[in-house]
Amino acid sequence: MDKPARRLFIFFAALFVALVLQLTWVQVISAPSLKIEPTNTRAIQEEMQVERGKIVSADGVVLADNREVDGYFYREYPLGSLTSPWLGYNSIEKGRDGIERVYNEELSGQAGRLAVTDYWDQLTGQTHQGADLQLTIDMGVQDAAVKAFGNRQGAVVALDPNTGAVLSMVSTPNYDPNDLEETWAELSVDEDAPFLNRVNSGLYPPGSVFKVVVAAAALELGKVTPETVFYDTGEYTAGGYVVSNYDDKVYNEHDFKRAFRSSINTTFANVGVQLGGEALAGYAAAFGFGQSPPWPLGGAESSFPDPDDMDVAHVAQAAFGQGEVLVTPLEMALVTAAVANGGQMMKPYVVDMVTDPGGAVMEQAEPALWARPISETTATTLTELMVEVVQRGTGTAAALPGVQVAGKTGTAEVADAESHAWFVGFAPAWNPRVVVAVLVENGGSGGSVAAPIARKVMSAALKR
Amino acid sequence: MNPRNRELVLLIPALFLTTLGFALVYFQQRSHEPDSLVYGIIFVVLFAIAHIGRRFLAPDADPHILPLAALLSTLGIVFIFRLDDQLAFKQAMWLVAGVAAFILVLVFVRDMKMLYKLRLPIGILGVLILLFTAFLGNEINGARLWVTIGPLGFQPGEFAKILLVIFFAAYLVDIREVLTVSTRRILRLPVPPFKYLAPLLIVWGLSMALMVFMKDLGTSLLFFGALLALLYAATGRAFYVLVGLSLFAIGAGLLYLGFEHVQTRVDIWVNPWNDPQDKGYQIVQSLFALAAGGLFGRGLGEGYLTFPSGNARIPYVETDFIFSAIGEELGLVGAVGIILLYLILAYRGFRVATSASDDFRRLLATGLTSIFALQAFLIMGGVTKLIPLTGITLPFVSYGGSSIVANFVLVALLLRISDRSGTAGGLVAPPADNGGRKKWPVHAEVDREVDRKQRSASAKAGE
Repeated sequence: MDKPARRLFIFFAALFVALVLQLTWVQVISAPSLKIEPTNTRAIQEEMQVERGKIVSADGVVLADNREVDGYFYREYPLGSLTSPWLGYNSIEKGRDGIERVYNEELSGQAGRLAVTDYWDQLTGQTHQGADLQLTIDMGVQDAAVKAFGNRQGAVVALDPNTGAVLSMVSTPNYDPNDLEETWAELSVDEDAPFLNRVNSGLYPPGSVFKVVVAAAALELGKVTPETVFYDTGEYTAGGYVVSNYDDKVYNEHDFKRAFRSSINTTFANVGVQLGGEALAGYAAAFGFGQSPPWPLGGAESSFPDPDDMDVAHVAQAAFGQGEVLVTPLEMALVTAAVANGGQMMKPYVVDMVTDPGGAVMEQAEPALWARPISETTATTLTELMVEVVQRGTGTAAALPGVQVAGKTGTAEVADAESHAWFVGFAPAWNPRVVVAVLVENGGSGGSVAAPIARKVMSAALKR
Repeated sequence: MNPRNRELVLLIPALFLTTLGFALVYFQQRSHEPDSLVYGIIFVVLFAIAHIGRRFLAPDADPHILPLAALLSTLGIVFIFRLDDQLAFKQAMWLVAGVAAFILVLVFVRDMKMLYKLRLPIGILGVLILLFTAFLGNEINGARLWVTIGPLGFQPGEFAKILLVIFFAAYLVDIREVLTVSTRRILRLPVPPFKYLAPLLIVWGLSMALMVFMKDLGTSLLFFGALLALLYAATGRAFYVLVGLSLFAIGAGLLYLGFEHVQTRVDIWVNPWNDPQDKGYQIVQSLFALAAGGLFGRGLGEGYLTFPSGNARIPYVETDFIFSAIGEELGLVGAVGIILLYLILAYRGFRVATSASDDFRRLLATGLTSIFALQAFLIMGGVTKLIPLTGITLPFVSYGGSSIVANFVLVALLLRISDRSGTAGGLVAPPADNGGRKKWPVHAEVDREVDRKQRSASAKAGE
């Protein structure tokens, strides 16, 4: 080539070399970060070509299914908002939440041996199938719980205290996962937090249901027996802080059994102060306070204040579940399950079985012990106390015909608003098959609002 | 092997690739009718006609250029078919029109003298076409490139491009002496009389006007780049290139300050992530596509070029952004392959220029090659965010009738030039026709170099 042509060619060659370098930069070096840009929806589209596993309840109801259009699978939730708080969603635009998020590897066929078949399916161009999930949730119990809870705001959780298998979870308000794309804008700014699963992520003052923990500590440490006598004047003063009873009642002379049954705040403040902040915090921790729920779905840590920062007034307040004590409904259910199960707290779980597309079991849940906060003796004594609550105390609305029910009510005071209504309980009292925790936000009295809901949930669970 | 048979052999890979490509897309997208093989047949017949036409009309022409064009248009139609089979049918029809134009140019442009003599009408026609587009064109995708007559849309700029390169080449042949042997000097640099520079300044003004009125940064860059390449080839002086680049930089700077659409283009280039859902959407999606391809690509038909709804992820993926689609499905390896095809074509084009028998042919081949390579670079650089994006087609690959037909005309002109130069098969063949040389100014240095190379090559061949 002559000189100008050669130089022009070298010039264009240099341009093309620059192009190759830029392409290498984009396609190889910065590709990993480009692939995970939030606006890059290719990965989701790729996953939409996988026939995502079905999710089925313990009693065989299909909770999550697929609709196929031109080789792409769209998620469908036949029961809509009935299951959304814990099932979550799998959306092209909005990502994932709940069980759909936590068990995505299994559902999308990336876990275990399905990763190998995924590679094979890619090679052969076949539709890849994910693993199916069978849950511990029983739709009979779930239906009853949702119906009993009505349009109130709050949460219900029911579980089997012997295994930790969760039978039902209600959290309201919630959403319909089938039309998330249309309702997202409204839902995401809703102050009532419809995406929050209140069962494991809602934190509330426990009120008197926390007396289960205080009574457990007092009994275990030998500070009281059910027969220990107290005298109530209607007021108890600790460090200048005056404790009074619900409805300003005065109980005069009574034993500890009565104090538990009638939920006498003055006596529990007294017992709490005798135990001290250190002991209360220790037992709260033994029951799992300060830890995330021990299951894959995670959740908020229930909290008891640092005893070093507590004066005697704080201790008195904490002893009947006020002040800075915060719990999730799931934590209260687990505390109750410890009582029901002879002092042994089982880890909760919601996925019973993972099966491959051929139906072979890939994973089977094994009940596992989480903690052993109290002795069997203490558990038995506490059960006696809790039976009295339902027989002739604050929780009579939870009583079931022909079945002995154990429980504890709570009416947690909230600043400038109606109290939260609580009930925790289990049945049958001496052979427990179900534990339930009910929380109604700003619902009023636990005994009149939460206990009847618990009764219906336990009734449904016992018919299982 | 004579150049004709060599070309025939070189066409085989293109045929193989077409059939393989369509077969792959067919097996991947099982919903398609088995019409993919029909395209293979159309393709074979088409390039057989082109090859036979060239055998008779330009027997000694460069044997590499037509197979390269065939390969590129093969890749293009396979990807268009993969994106939209109805569009692929239209593209096939445009390829028919392109090959027809190729044959017609070889039939009617037998003699370069004719083009040289018609330089003024050709130049005026080119400018008129541009003005016509500027005033009557429709704005599509942010640039006024299209003229619609009845059901058909044209991009006249694609043709004006060739006409103006012919004109520039002829005009520079006329004034080359004046540009190189200038007596007037300012700051020790030679400055030719204004009347010779005027047409060049007019071209500069025209480029700037194109940017303003047609919002067509791509075409204006093309014209200006081709003009600079020609100036350099004609004079051998980097001085003109520097002056030209400065003029362009000044003009571009003023346009950037004065016009919002130019600013927008540059801002998107600098940071598309400021607005990835709207203004930066196309380029961001293009980068996503390339990233998805990685080193070896997802495989033909395996990329996510469309949403589940069937809509394209990147708007104009079949025209401006076809290179991104290739990058996703064939990977870096495939994309670099395409770049190499353009580089080889550019190399052959400059070889044609070097061995041309006279200055007009030399400059015309240089101009056509430059504008072709520059266009490929501008759009590939644009979609990879190497340079700001300009909406032009990837020659032979993008969907679009005007582009296909114009590029076949361009290739036909290159073949015609190489045929008359008489060194089609490489360095060995002796110059076929020296008669034409005397009629126009001759670049003596070039001739000496060519003769020397040919002598040494002949000597080797004789051993």
